[in-house]
Amino acid sequence: MKIDQLKVTNFRNIRRLEYQPISHLNIIIGKNGEGKTNLLEAIYMMSGNSSFRTNTDQDLINYDALYYIIRAKYNCLEKDYNIILNYNLNVSKEMKLNNKKVALSNDELLKVVLFTPDDLYLVKGSPQKRRYFLDFILKQLDAEYKLILDNYSKLLRKRNLLLKNDQTNSKNFTIVNDLFLENASKLILLRLNFITIYEEIAKEVFKEINNNLNNLKIRYALSFPVNSDKINLDILINSLAKQLQAKSTIEKRRRSTVAGPHLDDLHIYLDNRIARNFASQGQQRNIAITMKLAELYVFKKIMGFYPLFLLDEVLAELDNEKRQLLMDLLINADYQSFLTSVNIDKLNIGDAHLDSIVDGSLV
Amino acid sequence: MRLVRPLENLIDQLVKLPTIGPKTAQRLALFLLKVPEDEAKALAEAILEVRLQVFPCSVCGYLTDLDPCYICQDAKRDKNIICVTEEASDVISIERTGYNGQYFVLNKEFHVMEGHDLDEINLDSLEDKLASGEIKEVILAFNPDVDGEIMARYLASIAEAHQVKVTRLAHGLPVGGDIEFTDELTLRRAIEGRYEFME
Ligand SMILES: [Zn+2]
Repeated sequence: MKIDQLKVTNFRNIRRLEYQPISHLNIIIGKNGEGKTNLLEAIYMMSGNSSFRTNTDQDLINYDALYYIIRAKYNCLEKDYNIILNYNLNVSKEMKLNNKKVALSNDELLKVVLFTPDDLYLVKGSPQKRRYFLDFILKQLDAEYKLILDNYSKLLRKRNLLLKNDQTNSKNFTIVNDLFLENASKLILLRLNFITIYEEIAKEVFKEINNNLNNLKIRYALSFPVNSDKINLDILINSLAKQLQAKSTIEKRRRSTVAGPHLDDLHIYLDNRIARNFASQGQQRNIAITMKLAELYVFKKIMGFYPLFLLDEVLAELDNEKRQLLMDLLINADYQSFLTSVNIDKLNIGDAHLDSIVDGSLV
Repeated sequence: MRLVRPLENLIDQLVKLPTIGPKTAQRLALFLLKVPEDEAKALAEAILEVRLQVFPCSVCGYLTDLDPCYICQDAKRDKNIICVTEEASDVISIERTGYNGQYFVLNKEFHVMEGHDLDEINLDSLEDKLASGEIKEVILAFNPDVDGEIMARYLASIAEAHQVKVTRLAHGLPVGGDIEFTDELTLRRAIEGRYEFME
């Protein structure tokens, strides 16, 4: 998947901008506040996701305008696409793909991997960060996952509401609980399938980045025990049901669901020791970079094409050696990437396409 | 800027309608001011009349102006099969596919999230029919979302208590979509492709 052309109007500090990226590495240089991340965000918005910086589209409109429009031309698997995202204060948000109105959840919108400085805390950070990481990839890979995740969240809220209202003996609860268990288990199965493929790729990437020194291992950590030497849908349903049954008094007291995929985690090991506790900060950063690169490769493996790689000011967080290593990877990659930075001093950027942005305009 | 009170009042009423935003409400209100007086009156009267004369059928719940409705009175329709839907608009869609059985319309959206209880739904006339042994098959035509799924399971458990076969409109419905917006061909295929709901 590659973008050939981008036109942005009234988006944050960008009043009007036309951008012609090349098919591999594109670098956007600018001082803080000049709009480099805004340009990256504009690309990101074409994925149909809400912004990674704000939840309200109103914040995204240039200060005295009433709307923003982002247009892009891109191609994927030898098909050309033309996409328009239009947000209007009075009408709300509308996405058009090849001149047809489509939902923001449409399968054919842009696919992206976003790498921000925050991702460098994937290893050290909260389980929630890792679940978000998993869900973000899986939602882009699999429409069914998106649906099941959505249903699961609704069922979890209903289940918690029934716990809160002390309605666990009702017909409602029996039905909601059954559906909850089924969706939870389907979600976990899809995650497990994914992690199996993903770990294999991540191991290889890590060797490359880490000069073959250490061994990376990633495991899916369930929030409930499974007493079986194999995993399938029925086993997951029964195990989760058993756990929730055993914890029913605690659930009633806490008025919330105490096990399920909303509480699962990824365990990341370096040479068989939990990386969160034992790996150095440098090693944790290597793992984080690995996990982001593996996100691109796993996408290619499953979907047959690469998503766009958006890197927002990550260079500043890395030492000189890592910066050049990442830069070399991006220059020689088959995927298209967009990298923002305050400067690229002392870095060899090969034949990357370089733009500077000042006050929302390319100069 | 402030509008005069009657105009503002009309806009406030229009904006309550589904899919009507403030801009459209304003446009409609100004339009209504310009149409000939008898047209405006005809619209107002049509609204009052429909409210007075149309009501849910006491047997099936479909909207009607005579009781029981024409579907329930039609002797040529299959008495052994009943299709349960959420809204009367679903009946309109399903009729277009050539379905020729009975209906039971709940006439309410059901959301467990909003604290509704399944027991609040009045299923008396459906349960009577099931108990009479006349019904051989119940088709559940709910939206393929979580609330639709919950309703389906609830009704399936009731029908199965009467040992009546339960099937669901399953295939060809876009995921997360509204039955109302499905085209006739897809709905037709959905009826053919229904599968046994439980076990
Ligand atoms: Zn009737």
